[in-house]
This record gives sequence, structure tokens and C-alpha cells, in this order.
Amino acid sequence: MTAADFQALLPFMCVAAAAVIVMLVISFYRNQTLSAILTLAGLLVALASLPIAWSHAPRAIPPLLRVDSFALVHLALLLVGTVAVTVFSQRYLEKYRMERGEFYILLLLSALGALILAAADHFVAFFLGLELLSVSLYVMVGYIFVKEKALEAAVKYLFLAGLTSALLLFGLALIYAALGSMEFSALAAAVAGAPDGLSPFLVAGMLLVFAGAAFKLSVVPFHLWTPDIYQGAPAPVTAFLATVSKGCVVAVLLRFFAPLDPASQTGLFSALAAVAGASMIVGNLLALLQDNLKRILAYSSIAHFGYILVAFLAGGENGPAAATFYLVTYFAATLIAFGVIGYLSPTDQEADTVADYRGLFWRRPGSAALLSIAIFSLLGLPLTAGFMGKFFLVAAGAAAGLWPLLIILTVSATLGIFYYLRIIIAMYSGEGRKSEGRTADAPFAPTSATVLVLLAVLLIVIGIAPEPLLAFIQAATTLAP
Amino acid sequence: MLDLLWLIPALPFAGFLLLTLAGRLPRAVIAGIGCGTVGVGAIFSLLLCHRFLTAPPPDHAFTQSLWTWFDVAGLAPGIAFHLDALSLVMISVITGVGFLIHVYSAEYMRDDEGFQRFFAFLNLFVGFMLVLVLADNFVLLLLGWEGVGLCSYLLIGFWYREPANGAAARKAFVVTRIGDTALLLGLFLLFASLGTLHFQEAFAAASLAWEPGSGLAVAAALLILGGAVGKSAQLPLQTWLPDAMAGPTPVSALIHAATMVTAGVYLIARCHVLFELAPAVLLVVAIVGAATLLTAGFSALVQHDIKRVLAYSTISQLGYMFLALGVGAWSAAMFHFVTHALFKALLFLAAGALILALHHEQDMRKMGGLRHKLPAVFWTFLIGSVSLAALPLIGSGFYSKEKILWDVWISPLGGPAFWAVGVAGAVVTALYTFRMVFLVFFGESRGARVEHRPGPAVLAVLVILAVFSTFAGGIELPHTFGHVTFFSDFLDTALASLVVLPPGLDAELWALLLVASALVLAGAGVAWWLYGKRTQTSDTMGAAPPRDPLLRFWFAGWGFDAVYDTLLVRPYQFLARRNRRDLVDLGPVFIAALARGLHTLLSETQTGRLRWYASVLVAGTLVLLLLAFAQ
Repeated sequence: MTAADFQALLPFMCVAAAAVIVMLVISFYRNQTLSAILTLAGLLVALASLPIAWSHAPRAIPPLLRVDSFALVHLALLLVGTVAVTVFSQRYLEKYRMERGEFYILLLLSALGALILAAADHFVAFFLGLELLSVSLYVMVGYIFVKEKALEAAVKYLFLAGLTSALLLFGLALIYAALGSMEFSALAAAVAGAPDGLSPFLVAGMLLVFAGAAFKLSVVPFHLWTPDIYQGAPAPVTAFLATVSKGCVVAVLLRFFAPLDPASQTGLFSALAAVAGASMIVGNLLALLQDNLKRILAYSSIAHFGYILVAFLAGGENGPAAATFYLVTYFAATLIAFGVIGYLSPTDQEADTVADYRGLFWRRPGSAALLSIAIFSLLGLPLTAGFMGKFFLVAAGAAAGLWPLLIILTVSATLGIFYYLRIIIAMYSGEGRKSEGRTADAPFAPTSATVLVLLAVLLIVIGIAPEPLLAFIQAATTLAP
Repeated sequence: MLDLLWLIPALPFAGFLLLTLAGRLPRAVIAGIGCGTVGVGAIFSLLLCHRFLTAPPPDHAFTQSLWTWFDVAGLAPGIAFHLDALSLVMISVITGVGFLIHVYSAEYMRDDEGFQRFFAFLNLFVGFMLVLVLADNFVLLLLGWEGVGLCSYLLIGFWYREPANGAAARKAFVVTRIGDTALLLGLFLLFASLGTLHFQEAFAAASLAWEPGSGLAVAAALLILGGAVGKSAQLPLQTWLPDAMAGPTPVSALIHAATMVTAGVYLIARCHVLFELAPAVLLVVAIVGAATLLTAGFSALVQHDIKRVLAYSTISQLGYMFLALGVGAWSAAMFHFVTHALFKALLFLAAGALILALHHEQDMRKMGGLRHKLPAVFWTFLIGSVSLAALPLIGSGFYSKEKILWDVWISPLGGPAFWAVGVAGAVVTALYTFRMVFLVFFGESRGARVEHRPGPAVLAVLVILAVFSTFAGGIELPHTFGHVTFFSDFLDTALASLVVLPPGLDAELWALLLVASALVLAGAGVAWWLYGKRTQTSDTMGAAPPRDPLLRFWFAGWGFDAVYDTLLVRPYQFLARRNRRDLVDLGPVFIAALARGLHTLLSETQTGRLRWYASVLVAGTLVLLLLAFAQ
């Protein structure tokens, strides 16, 4: 390995090193705050090392990884997401009297898996990254096992993730059987070599790989687990599940499917289009009359990844950029939502029913304002980042002529306004009745408040001036076909 | 200096943002921000006046382009401010009077729990008002126009827990909205036929493209007039202003007397080129003004609520401005705007001090004899009344009203009939003004007790306004005595007056002046005879509404509310009620029901059972494989 390789891999190494350091420190001295600080430091150093890695991009690290600008943009996003989750977790875990240091090791390992996925250029890296991500998550979901439903959620997640990993492995095996190589580049070569259609093995393999990944994205028909696990997991873990563990999968799918031309692969792409359309409709319909905030966000995330699949299917020059841009806006809004939920949850249970948030504005105007900005962005109100995200998705879809999907997107997103506004209405109604709802009274810790406010400002700034970020993402995410 | 023009509107907006976003602030800080932002604007306006008088910029106008708002299909309105004599007069009054009213409010609203909200809205209003008068194109003007409408709504309904206040706010918003729609249509028409909404370009293009009296010119001027009529509460859209008195008194003074309601006057003056192309519409303006000033004057005569008297009086005085505009006497209208802003703000603020002193008693039948108990309020109110009633020589109202009357007489568009209406209105004005003075301050006390005396800020503001409203007339004196044309010369740099004084009319004008003055004095005398000489008791003052049918008709504002209620509101509500479950609704209702049904159906899939989840997952994968290979 050369020095340049080493520098390009710095972000990964920092996160891995942080995991080792936290593990070593807690075997001598257990302190939740210290573990959180070390984790945060590792993540921030990894973020700081991104420019160094950038100076060496694009750089292939044969055979597993490829550190290019596309990977680094996603790395940055995933690291920022993990930083926010770390900050939220520190405060959330303080409420429980149990061993808490290990949580951060799991978080770091899980994040490392996500980073590997974003830079994967090989089936082995793909599978290793996904498993590293999942295995840590099984434990994180059930980490606070004293809570109601936590173990149930963990077992469900373990079982179903195991099942889809098997599908993924089988898909990889089929592709290997067809190509005789486990590098992503071999796929590009095969596509270039067979303009009039791929072998059935290859198509089935790719679809199974997609199925394995789609489980993480919780798109239809791999979505049924989402609400149960979102509800059962601690709020910061839900935030991680909803953002980082999905973002990295989008990244790897974008790279994996980049060589394919939608026009010549009608069969494969019509199956994916069915997934996208069904996810948008089913996600929004399921959320419609739901009374549990975490379940609403779970269902709405099904719809959101349906939207992202539209950009994914659009491909071309705009698709990856639109999907990445949407991920940024979705990350910020979702992190705020789960951050606030985690904060407002009292010790014994989660504050997660809509009724808990009735009159929140009159009790805690700051939290209500943050949650409002997040929800407005998620529903795509103009002047928030979510609107620009949807706008670029639709633009990418229109450029690729995906009209049926765009119509579904518009109609189902309109349905979505209903359940998002229900939350908003609940928060601003019931003036003066202070005793309603089971939300905690503790003030925000300064670190969390800073992170939440920064994310909210980001949502507004992107909503007003999306051009710089979009230009940056467009330049960075061009994937060579 | 001129380059800092943008600061004048920017400061109140900054104040609004600060007051909205900064969380709870101490009251002194709130008042400091609220008054400071407007006060600095007032100082800037003064400096700009000085600059315009000593070293006027080329063409007596200055345009500052900040940025292009948007650029779509040939419509590229700029965020650009145009400063000429007309807008300079407007911003001076807005910031000057606005500042004084802010200072007054700091004391008036001291004990209100919505103190911060109040100043935030007030600052927002001043910002939008300044944008309105500084805009160099119709689109930006419309932004300010709608913005002040919003603030008016927010401030009329400021005490929102009282349902009546909310109703008044909605009424004001809806009624002015009718005018706004006309204005918007006018702008569409201008853009469609002229291709630009920039003031100077549009006026230049209109003068070239349209013959005087041509259909398009008439239509455009009429639609713009519709907007002006709504905003300035002229017939037939005047009904919202008396109800708007539900807002706090400083709001009535600032928005519903001194500034916002004059936006219609400003709009017509700004678009005078278009109106000159449509002389028929100018006649309509004059008729609207004449009819309004008379009808509102009669309504003011029989009101018992002191703020409603002042509200009708405002409508009536705005009628004078419209009459002046209608005969092409632009500078006379603007002169009356300036003096009216001063003395009406003074009257409102003095009435506010009175109302606060009497523990929110506004009924004049319960006042009386207050001149000994509240001497400072009495003297300042009297000074304002003298101006409003246009008593000869003392008070600025005399000079501006006489200028209007003269211009009406000599203008080719005016004539003796309009002059007679104006003089009759002046008599009625004197009558209701002094009815108010005698009922409130003279005679015996009729129940209301003084519980609170105005503090230093209120008194200072009243005295300053009293001084200004007495001496502001000095900037323009009739040529028969004094002959000062300072103000009209200044305004003529932006608005070339249509009224030129022919020589050799001195004797005629003296006669007119004497007749008008004598009649005004007679009106004041009648008020003294009816209300000052005899001691009134609350029983002899009559019921509300009065029993006499004519008086009752006047009391109810000439029955406009009842007519609108019968002709428009009730049928509309009836239709809306009957139409609740109509065909059009079926579509949305069906979609909602469908979504609901599908939700219930899909929810059945969320069983929570692991084996079901796993089966669906595998079955789904198989379906996807089938889909992929079916092609």
C-alpha cells in the first residue's frame, strides 16, 4: 500500500481506530460521556481527513474500494449523520442505568460498514460493509432491552436482515457465475459487451442484489419491518436506521447500477419502477391515519425512498446528483425529527404518539419550531430544502421521461401533506393546556441544541439558495458509465 | 447619502425580524428597537429632504436598484427604490409621524402582554409602507400594498381574544381585497398592453400608445382607481374603516389615519399620467371624493363613539384628497395629506390618551367636563380640532383645505358644483368636530371617571404633533396673503400640476375664501349652540342608534353595511350553505374516502407477525423476478 492509498483511506481508518480506542478505554474506565467524546472526536477527525482523501481522488484501492469524489460526498454525509446520532445518543442513554459505553463501539462499527458501502467497488466490500452495518445494528436496536418492544424489534430485524442477506449472497453468486469476476467493473464490461441483452443469470442476480439492498431502504415489498423496528428501537438508533443505514445503500446501488442503460434493460427496470411506484403509494397511504409519530416517519420513509428510486431510475447525468441532493435534505430533516423525539421522550417510554405533541408549541416553542421546520421540509414546502430536493428529483425524472412515476410521485406526495400537517396542527393547538402529552421537561443540552439548530438552518438555507450545494454535488457525483 | 436609501425600509424590517426571532426581550429593549429603527429612518428622511432642497439630484429623482427580483417571460421587476419629491414627502410623513406614534405606543401599550408582538407588527407595517411608496415598479408596489394590508389585518385584530375584533379585521381584509383585485387586474392589463410594469417606462409607453380617452386608458385608470378606493376607504368600499377602530388606538392613528389609508391617494398621484389620459376617470375620482366627503361627514355627525367619529372624519378628509386628485390638483391633495396626517394623528393620539384615562371608555355620552381634569389632552385635542375644522388662519388644515377648494374652483376639471360640495363638507366637518369637543370637554361630567393621567411620552408626542399641525400650514400659503409656494414648487418637480392659477382672480378668490371661512365659523357656532351652550345629560343625548330615521340612517353609515349584507353576504352564505355537498366536492370527497379505505386495507398487512413479514418478503422477490422476466 502506498502513502497515497493510505491517505485516501484515512476517513475509514479514523473511524476504525476510534472504535478500537473506545473499546480499550472502556475496559479500564467506564464513562458514558468520555466514550461519546472519543466517538465524536474520531468522527470529526474522519471528517477533517476528507479533504486529504479528496486530494487523492479518484483513487482505486484494488480490489475492494474506490475512493472517488462520489464516495467522498457520501462519506461526508454519512459521517455528519453519525455525528448527529452520537450527540443525540449521549443525552438519550444518560437516562438509563445500564452499561452504555459499548453502544458507541457498535455505532462506530456500523458507521464504518456504511462508509465501506459508499466506497465499495467489489462484491466482497459490498457484502462486508452491509454485514458490518447490520450486525452492529441488531444489537443497537435492542440495546435498551428493558424497554417495551425493544427485543421484539431486534429479533425481527435480525431475522429479516439475515433472510435478505441470503438473497443478496445468492444474487452475488449468480452474477459471479455469469461473469466470473467479483468486481463492479466486470459488470460494466459485460454490459458494454452485450448490447442486446444480458444473460438471465445476470438479470436475476442483479435483481436479488437489489432486493437485499432494498430491505435496508425499506421499499415495497421489503417494507413491512419498518414501523415495528422504528417504534421499538431507541430514538437515536431509529435516526441512524432512517438515515445512515439507508444513505449508504443508496450510494452503493447508484454505483452498482450505473453501467446499466435503462432503455436496453426494460425487464429489470420495469421491476424497479414497480418497486418505486408501489413504495410511494403504499408508504404515504400507510402513514395517512397513523397515530404514532415514529410509525408515521417509518411509513413516510418508505415513500421518500420511493421518490429517490425515481432519480435512481432516471440515471444519466442528473439522476445520481438528484438522489444525493435529496438524501442530504432527507438526512437533515429526519435527524432533526428523531433528535427532537429522543429529547422529548421521558425515561420510561418514548414520546411518540401524535397526542404527546398536542400543544407542544405552547410548552416548548423551540422544539416545536425545529420539528415544524423538519416536517415542512419532509413534506416539501417551498423555501425549505425538501422542496428543492423534490424539485430536482422531478426534474431528473422528467429529463428521463418517467412520466407515470412522476404522476404517482405528485399524487402520493400530496396525500403525504395530510399526515404531516396533522402533526403540525397537533403541535400548535391546545393553547394553555400545559399538562397534556408525555413529553420531558428537561432543557436541551447545548451540543444537541447546536446540532439541531445547525441542521434546521441548513434546511432553510438550502431551501432558499440550493445552487451552490447542487453544483457541488453535480460535479462530484458524475459516475462514469 | 442617497446610496443609503435602502436603509430606510430595511431598518424597520430588521426591527421586525429581531423582535420576532429574538425570544422574549425586556420592554425597554423592545421599545428601543421599535422606535429606534423608525426614528433613524426619520432622521435619514430629513437628511434626504435637505439634500433634495440644497443639491437636488438630476431630474429631481434618484433610483436605487438593489437586485432583480425575478425574471420570467419579460417581466423582470427589480427590487429598486425610486425617490422623487412625491415619495420623499410620503417617507418623511411615514417615518416622522410613525416615529412619534411608536414612542407614544411605548407608553400606551405598556401593560399589554402582547407588547413585543405589537412592536413587531408595527415595524413590519412601517417597512411595507415604505416599500409601497419607494417602489419603482408596480410589482414591488403591490408587495408593499399587500404587506400593509396584512399588517392592518394583524393589528386591527391585535386583541384577538375578542371575537368582534377578529370580525372587524376580517371585514377590513375582505373589503380592501375587492379593491386589491381590481388593482391586480389593472396591473395585468398594463403588462399585457404595455409590456412593462416599471413606472417610468409604463407611463412613457402609455403616453405614446394610448390616445387620451381611449378605452384601454380608461379601463386601466378605472381598475387602479378600484384599488385606491378600497385602500383609502372611499365610496363604495368605505365600510371597513369604522369597524377597523377595533384595533389599539396608536394603530388607528398610524395605519387608519396617517399612512396606509392614504396609499390610494399616493397611487393615483403616482399614476397621474394614466389618469390624465382618461379624463372621464378623473371625473369619477372627483365624484367619488365629493360623495364620500359629504356622506362620511354626516355619519360622523351622529356617532357616539369618539373613535368612530374620527374614523368617519378620516374617510371624509380622504374624500377631500380624492376630490383634489379628481380635478388634477396633485399638490393640493398631497398638501392635505401632510396636514391631515399630522392633525388626525394628533386627534387619534389625544383620543387614545383620553380613552386610557377613562379606563377604555369611548362613548362620548359618558364623558363631559374633562377640560379641567385633563388639561393637556384638552388643549392638544383642541388644536387638532381647530385644524380639522379648518378654522380660518389658525391651524394647518385651513390652508390645505382652502387650497383644495380654490383649485377645485379654478380647475378646468372642477367647477362651482364641486366647490359647493367641498364647502358644505367643511361646514359639516366644523359641526361634528366641535360637537366632539363640546361633548367631551365641556359641560358636566356624565359618569366616566378619570383613573389615570397620561405620562411624559404621551404628552411629549401630543405637544410635538400639536406644534407641527399648527405650523405645517406655513409651507404653502395662498397667494392672496403670504404667497408661499414652497411645497407645491417642490412637488411640481415630480407631479406637474394641471391647475394653473390664471391672473386677475384675486377678488374672486378673496370672496370664496371669505364665504368658506364664514360658513365654517357658522358651523362651529352651531355646534356651540347645540352642544356647548346647553348642559347635556346622558339621557338627552339620545339612544344608539338614534330614534330619528334620518339620523339612524346616518348613524349606520348610510346603510351600506345593511345593503351589502342583504345583497352580497347573505346570498353568498346561503349559497355556500346550500352548496356544501355539491357535485364539485364529490371528487375530493371520493379521493379522501378512497385513501382512507386503502389505508385501512394496507394497515391489515402490518400484522406484526414475523412469519408473515418473511413470507411477503420472499413472495415480493419472486414477483419482482417474474416482472423482470415477463418482458
